[in-house]
Amino acid sequence: MNTSVPTQPKKRTDAAAELRKRMGDNLVAIGRDRDEVAFADVYSYYAGRVKSFLMGKGMVEEIAEELTQEIMLTVWRRAESYDPAKAAASTWLFTIARNRRIDYLRGNSRIEVELDDEMLDIETTENDSQAKFVDDAQDSIRLKNALEKLPQEQRQVMHLSYFRGQSHGAIAKWLDLPIGTVKSRIRLAMQAVRVSLQNEEEALSEPSND
Amino acid sequence: MSVSHHLADETLQDYAAGSLSSPMETLVACHLTVCQHCRDRASIADHIGGSLFEEFEAVDVSLSASDLLAQANVMPAHSAPSASPAANPVSGVPRPLARLLNDPLEELDWKRIAPGIKQYNLSDQHRRFGAFKLLHLAPGVVLSAHSHNDRELTYVVKGSYQDEVGRFKAGDIADLDGDVAHQPVVDTDEPCIALIATHSPVRYTGMFGKIMQPFIGI
Repeated sequence: MNTSVPTQPKKRTDAAAELRKRMGDNLVAIGRDRDEVAFADVYSYYAGRVKSFLMGKGMVEEIAEELTQEIMLTVWRRAESYDPAKAAASTWLFTIARNRRIDYLRGNSRIEVELDDEMLDIETTENDSQAKFVDDAQDSIRLKNALEKLPQEQRQVMHLSYFRGQSHGAIAKWLDLPIGTVKSRIRLAMQAVRVSLQNEEEALSEPSND
Repeated sequence: MSVSHHLADETLQDYAAGSLSSPMETLVACHLTVCQHCRDRASIADHIGGSLFEEFEAVDVSLSASDLLAQANVMPAHSAPSASPAANPVSGVPRPLARLLNDPLEELDWKRIAPGIKQYNLSDQHRRFGAFKLLHLAPGVVLSAHSHNDRELTYVVKGSYQDEVGRFKAGDIADLDGDVAHQPVVDTDEPCIALIATHSPVRYTGMFGKIMQPFIGI
């Protein structure tokens, strides 16, 4: 076990779970009742993070500020499309911010699967044993624990990729590593998370205290 | 559709991080349309982004929530240049690709580039930014052996081909690292139509390929 990975006290996991539930409830309340108090809570937690995300990806502050306002307004206007059974509030916010950034930089939207596509394959057999993200509260905790348990070198490349606007090639240059090493760290991290979602016993246990 | 070749984890992660070009995104979205297995993995990559998002240090924003809501009535809602339904839907093709086509596959304005090989270019950018095109390969066609500098994605739209990695049928995606050299062969009596995106021009490993490269341009 890599001892440089800090162990997380249980208290922090509980607080994170509590916060996650509150933010999910807030989004539902905004979507249902245009609840301004719920929006203020969502805003105070996420607006600064959204702006930080955009600036980390290389945007100048002025534009990051402007896009953050648009993104938070999107949250206000589209909260009824948020489904707490499908994603944590943070995942929903992250995908909105990511997509808005792409749209701004490229002038065209992120290309995604269209759920009414006649070619859409929906697996009817249950023999696909791979991990799925199903139960939001439980799986969010499993996923968070798995990320916290990753070796530092894997966490680092994941952070750079998601939040520093860098391609795998650029990360390799930045860290002075072969690109194959960067890709394999990302692969290992993705696998570790999937395993944690498959293996309840192991993933729900607290990160080991060395 | 039974799919046996899938997207690599690092490609799904890059897609979730928003770092892929729009040609690459198109290829990924085509495969995700026909592959629930990869859709589930892609969604986990989104959840990872969301979870890491919580660890972020927030920075100060100038407006308060109530200021923003006060402005909400005067600020126009942002609408992404919304993808309109394909005017002439091309059946049998995932929507992310169908949106780029005005005609059914066989009626596209294919350009012949070598015996048995036709291409339909989808890129409006210079070749040095990478290729984005459909290839139409006649039965029995053997492509020059080649490798790539960075990443190549191939989505099989129709028919099949075989190379050193395996057999690729409609719906499959070949997600190859730069160091893999391959030589695809169309292995049935049906033409194979494949959608291809590369990050950088390929390197041909044989002499014939070196001469062909300016013409094929993949």
